[in-house]
Amino acid sequence: MNIPKKHLFYVLAISSAFIAAAVTGLDSFVGGQSAFKYDPWAFAFAIFFVGAIVTLLISLFFSVRLNSKSIGAKVLDPSFSRVRLIQKSELKNHLVAGLMNAINTVGYCAIVSTVQDPSVILSFSQVVILYLLLMESITEKDVPTLVEVQSSVTVAFGAILASISLKGEFEIMSLAIVFVLINPTWAIFSIYQRRLKLMRIRNKPNDAINIRMWNVFFSLLFTSLILLGFDLATNGGHLLAGFHAVLSPYLFLLLAATMSITFFSYVLYIRSLGLGKASINNAIRASTIIFAIPFSLLLIYFGVMGPPSTDPVMLIIKVIGMILIIFGIISFAFTVVKAYIFITIKPGKNHKEVMDKLWDIKGITHVTVTAGKYDIIVKVSTRTLLKGYERIIKKIEEIPEIQKYRWASVLRDWENI
Amino acid sequence: MISAYILITMQPGKTDKAIKEMRAISNIVKISIIAGEYDIVVRAQVKNLEELLEVTDKLQVVEGISKTTTQIIEKEISVQ
Repeated sequence: MNIPKKHLFYVLAISSAFIAAAVTGLDSFVGGQSAFKYDPWAFAFAIFFVGAIVTLLISLFFSVRLNSKSIGAKVLDPSFSRVRLIQKSELKNHLVAGLMNAINTVGYCAIVSTVQDPSVILSFSQVVILYLLLMESITEKDVPTLVEVQSSVTVAFGAILASISLKGEFEIMSLAIVFVLINPTWAIFSIYQRRLKLMRIRNKPNDAINIRMWNVFFSLLFTSLILLGFDLATNGGHLLAGFHAVLSPYLFLLLAATMSITFFSYVLYIRSLGLGKASINNAIRASTIIFAIPFSLLLIYFGVMGPPSTDPVMLIIKVIGMILIIFGIISFAFTVVKAYIFITIKPGKNHKEVMDKLWDIKGITHVTVTAGKYDIIVKVSTRTLLKGYERIIKKIEEIPEIQKYRWASVLRDWENI
Repeated sequence: MISAYILITMQPGKTDKAIKEMRAISNIVKISIIAGEYDIVVRAQVKNLEELLEVTDKLQVVEGISKTTTQIIEKEISVQ
């Protein structure tokens, strides 16, 4: 199937957003069950415990080979070949991502059990893009452009307005947990997942399925450790309560359902993280708020949530919030500049050295040594042409081995997926 | 697996139709319209050089293409 490259990124991010909305709806339902309603700790443990089993089974299924290619490679991520052990180089990133996911999930479980309206829970979490932009400007030494700041702020404010629940309530209490616990941990989690996706394992790109699988394992490990410490310190029984809940076949099946759907949401999310910057990805995922509405309505219909509000002012504000989110997302979508740079190297100079120097330049997404008229072809992705000059061309001109280069802006592209 | 960039020069006014034809060629994984010395860059992924020849042969009969320059990829670092 041919999908324009630019769209591939959005297709991945939006499908992951839709699935995430479905999961939150289901989570609200599970969180409302008596075993978890007042014990988010047990809920978080149960999620990862069942999640580890389900994720392993799904990953093993995707490792099955059909005509020399694994099912996972055909359906989800072309880089995937089979379930594998993690490499030493990945360990640090996995430890951080796992810890962050563990903390994040405990906070999330606390909110899901109390608030219950997916359209609110998801709106809260969208403010995370502000944290991400800030972190990206620190870690990637990359100053965000005006468009990025503008769109992020639009999306963030939209998300706050849209977080008014369908019941017409504005949940201030939960905002604290969101800002202090959920958003910072999610931001760090995203950055480390992206680092993992950008790594090369045995000279091949890292794949989303293994990243997700190992993340669940590490998250289970950290949740258990945190819970054990917490239980020992307070003489509580959250870990046991979690175990006990998992033994109930009904809850086990519910958790297995949310975790298998979550698996697909994450794999698509991790794949799209590899294609674009984490903050832009999260901006697109903001669309889950809109997708959450039908799920909120479903929960109301089944009586899990109270009756909807009839106050028109509250509902209008919510709609305005959603429109802001959509506009924020669109302005992100239309501002990517891509280009090829065809490079000739001075005779007798080492290609490997030049390749590494080019790869260190931020914004360069592919470096290829080729045989033919040019020695190296580089692919570039940046937000504005000005940045392309400031960040890329200037740096290329500083490399002494380069004899000449030609910039060719991409006007449109397609990719076969 | 061999990958190659094929740089294409087009006759004016025939790009749209040519792109449609190129998208039907199975070993082509990526097509970009560019502004500069060339008009289109195509990325092909093939099993061996013979298959690459098939791709360039197919490209050369696409109406509107006036010249192709093939750059075989020897080594690559990329984000995906």
